[in-house]
Formats: sequence, structure tokens, C-alpha cells
Amino acid sequence: MSAATSSRERILSSVRTATKDIAKDATNRAAAYAGLPRNYIRRGQLSAEARLELLTERLREYDAEVVETTQAGLLAAIKAQLTASGRHCFVAPEGLPAAWMAAGFDWKIDRNLATAEIEKVEGVVTAASYGIADSGTIVLHHAADEGRRVVSLLPDWHLLVLNANRVVETLPEYFDRCKQPPELATYISGPSATADIEMTRIKGVHGPRFLAVILVHD
Amino acid sequence: MSHAAASSHAELDPRKALPFPKAVLPVLRNPQLRKNVAHAIDVIQAKRAKLVAEKTDWQELRTAASALRTHALENLGAYLEQFEERCTAAGGTVHWAADAEEARHIILDILRQENASEVIKIKTMTSAEIQLNPYLEGNGVSTFETDLAEIILQLGELEPSHIVVPALHVNRSQVREIFARRMGRPELSDDPKELTNAARTFLRQKFLSIPTAISGANFLIAETGAVGVVESEGNGRMCLTLPKTMITIAGIEKVLPSFQDLEVTLQLLARSATGERMNPYTSIWTGVKPGDGPQKFHVVLLDNGRSSILGKSKERQTLKCIRCAACMNSCPVYRQTGGHAYGSVYPGPIGAILTPQLMQMKHAQTLPFASSLCGACYEVCPVKINIPQVLLELRSQVVNQERKQVGRVFDPMYLGLRAANLLFAQAWIFHTAQWFGRMGLGMFTGKDGWIHWLPSVGGKWTQTRDLRGLPSQNFHEWWAKQRGSKPSKGAK
Repeated sequence: MSAATSSRERILSSVRTATKDIAKDATNRAAAYAGLPRNYIRRGQLSAEARLELLTERLREYDAEVVETTQAGLLAAIKAQLTASGRHCFVAPEGLPAAWMAAGFDWKIDRNLATAEIEKVEGVVTAASYGIADSGTIVLHHAADEGRRVVSLLPDWHLLVLNANRVVETLPEYFDRCKQPPELATYISGPSATADIEMTRIKGVHGPRFLAVILVHD
Repeated sequence: MSHAAASSHAELDPRKALPFPKAVLPVLRNPQLRKNVAHAIDVIQAKRAKLVAEKTDWQELRTAASALRTHALENLGAYLEQFEERCTAAGGTVHWAADAEEARHIILDILRQENASEVIKIKTMTSAEIQLNPYLEGNGVSTFETDLAEIILQLGELEPSHIVVPALHVNRSQVREIFARRMGRPELSDDPKELTNAARTFLRQKFLSIPTAISGANFLIAETGAVGVVESEGNGRMCLTLPKTMITIAGIEKVLPSFQDLEVTLQLLARSATGERMNPYTSIWTGVKPGDGPQKFHVVLLDNGRSSILGKSKERQTLKCIRCAACMNSCPVYRQTGGHAYGSVYPGPIGAILTPQLMQMKHAQTLPFASSLCGACYEVCPVKINIPQVLLELRSQVVNQERKQVGRVFDPMYLGLRAANLLFAQAWIFHTAQWFGRMGLGMFTGKDGWIHWLPSVGGKWTQTRDLRGLPSQNFHEWWAKQRGSKPSKGAK
């Protein structure tokens, strides 16, 4: 323990010595941080409609399936996607609305399911926290209806349900919206992919190989 | 045999590596390797250029990122302590390692407590920097790299040559040969899709069965104590989610003040690194979350020379680096040599300034000279590290070290430079020397107008490059002829 403590003290003390002429006290540090230049684009310029169109275009660029629907049409849209996937057995996060679990399919509800159980299912349905149109990013904060990280990782097919009013245009707009930093977050911008062999892009290495997104209008 | 093209015996320990001008020779004589490197770089560069061009606020983002990273470094002590406090409060355990050896010991101790004989790994340059894998293997822990490029290198017993696409020097037929041999899959073709699938199958069982993982970190967030990893394949998510115990090793410079700062770095990183708007997967986690992911989480904060770089005003900017590799992709030297000649896990322009400094200027002293100072690296750097400025600073340190060595005084290079000093001092001496030079070099100039071989110190240039012969007249003479007057000797 004392060796570890001394390394900590040694490193911090050499860091403090190295920065003794430039480091600021707490008040001045906060002021300096607040004064950092941030002249990049914060707010998007697109209309709500164009913003959704851009997100859809970006998602389709990486071969995600995208459909738009209304609250009234949501259940039918989920069912249609499940059917079209050709899969039968799905996992649902514990907090997924029961109505979304369409009849006629096998559902496993994730109440701390063992990894081996999740590995056996063919697909997963989750909600999502935000969508970022500019980069085609889906944000999961792993709330109860978005599921533990493992449920959206092992199944090969992932259906995401995203509220249209949760779609922002720029990345800074996402950060403006979530003033309380999430403990867990996964940003998905495309299916699992690699270009490690001769820069040839291959989709589907370890994460889900198939992504479908339902955008829901109020 | 194609295997040789991968140049398998690269030495990436800067203490043992050959000086750059010597290390570069086998590469320059290896056309397959050079072709592999050039191809990969052309692809990345084209994608990057397109996506940077569509970002109208690119320069504002660079300015913001540079200021942000500078601020974080200037106040590193406070932000590190804040990170430690928040990460610990969230259930993580923070360790401090002054050097590579201490970091290796800390990690092995954790693995022993966990009775781990196997560990899965997310690609981490910091782990390569401290040569973790050979150490763990030597102590009875099997390491399994899970990034596709890293598996290729690990199974092929090859060394990385790039920090983002570390196997870019290996082509598909070489990958096929390695996988067929090491996975026992002789039926594999050299189709990248089939090879990628082979890796997926090979690793799936490891992900599901090995309960301990090691990762690096792209950023540490002081405000929340969170750690973030950006990746493409999903191997990172597997390692961060499935195991029971997670160990992250991160350089102390990786801290960002706030969660919101990611709005700057994430917009720059993927575009600079792989030419994507955003990398497919970014994972952020804060300590331990009951019921979700590893229930034991350790962070090892590594100094290993970083705090001494921090204390030097010109060199400090080296630590702003977010490891995107745009500098090596844009470097005319790296393009010709690939990564191995740099004798370090950090190649290219950033490696040329980082490696000698991490070695306290005691090794890798030839690296600051492995540059034409063209400035392309500075222009593309998303956090505006003025690499040429640091290169020049390090060059002067190396020269000052050498000057102190007796015997260096009579080194042909130093004699030559001293002679040049005299020649350039007065125009008439310069013109006379030029005349003699034309006569002298004329003897070595081929019919094609190029010099392919020079004796003595001149050979340092011609052993790897050709030199244009001197023209028959210089600008002064040409100008005088145009004006019909005599060249003015010694005129100011």
C-alpha cells in the first residue's frame, strides 16, 4: 500500500512541479475553462422534417433499415419489422413497454438473464435516448427501456425505437440536451465494421450485424 | 514468399531499435510492403479529405480542441485528482504507475487476485508502450487481442506499424496464410469478408468465456470519473460488457475536464482517424454499474515519462495528442517507410516527437531528424500540435548532446556543416564554391541528370534517394544573361 501511495504522490508532485507556473487555482481554473474558445457550430439550421430526413439518409448509408410511423402506428410497425427480419426469438429489456412485445413471437424479458441465454436469441428490441442526424448516431443511455449493455450487443439483429422529438441535428445539441451526464452510454453510428484488411470495409464483426430503426412521430 | 513482406522482425523497443536511417533500409527495399502502406494511406486520406471538407467549422473545432487539451494539461494535477475521486466514488479502483514496470506489476497483481490465466484485450497503444503482452505471457497469463488488426499481428507474430490500423502493412494473402496456420483453417480464401468472419468465430467463444479484460482509454472525464473507448468492430463493447473484471490502462494526459468536452473531440477524432463522421461504437462507463457489465473495475494511470514532457513549454503540446494518426497518414516520410523504421509503437511524426521524449532523450535520437519539416502533420492535426516546432527543438537538443561528445568534432557531417557555415557567409565564396561544386558533382551526374551515388558523407543521401544534378547555370547567371550585364560578384 505504501509503495502505491508513494507512486501516486510522486506522479502528482511531478505533475504539479511541471505545471507550477501555469496551473490555476479552483476559481481561476473554472473561469479559464468557461472562457475556452467554442466557436464551432452548436445549433443546427434544418427544419424538423429535414433533420429527420438527414438522420434517415445517414442511417441508410450504413445499411440500417429505417421506417417512420406515428404513436398510433407504432405497434404495427414493430410487428412488421419483426416479421420482415425473419427471426422469431427476441430479448426485451426489462423496462420495454409490454405492448411492444408483439404477439406471435418468442420473448425473453431481461431480468438479469445469463449471457448464454442472451447469446441464444436472434434479435433485440430497445428504445433509444437520442438520435444525432449530422453523424447518423443513435444514443443509448441504457435506461430501463434501452436495456443493459449486453442485450443490445450479443443478438445479431437490433431494432431501435426512437422518438422523433429526441432527434437533434448536431452533436453539441445532444450535449445541451443531456445536462446530467449519463453513467453509461453507447453511441452507435453504423453496424460493427472493420477495414483492417487492405482497407476493405467489412460489416458485422462482433456487434449486431443488422440494425433497424423506427422513428416515431408524436 | 509473401510472409517476408510483412517484415516480421521489427524491433519496436526504442532502447534496442536501430537508428532510423539504418532501420529504414530493409523497408525501402521491400516493394510489397511499400505498396501495402501506400494503398492503405491513400484510402484513408481520400475518405478523410472528403469528410473534413464537408465540416464547415473544422478550423473552429481544431481551435477549440487545442485550447481544451492545453487547458487540461496545464491543470492536469487538479483534473487527475478529480477523476480519481469521482471514479472511486462510482466503484472503480484507481492505481498510479510511475513507469512501465510498475504498471505491468500492478496489472499482474490484479490478474493474480482474480486467478486469471487468460485475458481478453481491446487494442491499446499504451499496453504496447509498456510491452504488457510479453510480460503477462512470461508470467503464465495468456493474452488474446480482439481487434481484427491486432489478432492478425498477434497470430502472425508481427509488430504494429500504425496506431489506428496497425496491420496496414499486411495484405490479404498474408492474413489468409496467418489465419490458416494459426486457426487451423486451411480452407480459408483471401476474401476479406471470409477472413473477418473467421476472426469473429475464433473470438466469440473467448468473449463469452474469459472473465477478465484489459482496455486502453480514449479519454478520462474528470467531472464524472467516466472512461471512454471509441472503436469500430464491437470487440471493445464485448470486452467492456461481458467480463467480470475490467482493467483500463491510460496515460495521465488523457483527461478531459467535462463530459460535454466530448462534443469537440468526438467530432474530430473519427474524421481524422478513419474518415468517418463518427466511429461505429463509442462506449462510456462510470466505475461499476450494479447488474450491468464488469463488477470490478480498475484504472491504471500511467506516467512513464509524461510528467517530464509536461514541464517543458515547447514540448508540452506533444501530450495534447488524441492518437488519430492523421499526422502519419499525411507524412511523406511515413508514406515511404511505414511504421517499423521508427523503432517504437508510436511511429510517424507524433512518434518522432513522442518516443525520444518518453525515453528522456536517451534513445531514439535519430527520430526528430526523420522528417522533411514540410508541416503537413501540423496542418492536419485535429488538436493543432505544432510537430515541426517540437521536431526542431528536439533536434537542437540532440545536436547539443552530440557536441559534448569528443570525437564528434571530427565527424564528416559536422566538418561539412562547419564548412557550409563558411561558404554561406560571403557571396563570392559561395559562388566560387558553386563553380567547384558543379565541376565536382558533374563527375557523379548521370546522363539522366540525376546523381545516384556519392562517396563519403554524401552517400548518406544517395543510399536511399537520388539527387538532382546541379544545373549548368545558377539564377544569378541566368538573370545577368537576360539583362545583358555581367553577374555582380559579391553584391549585396
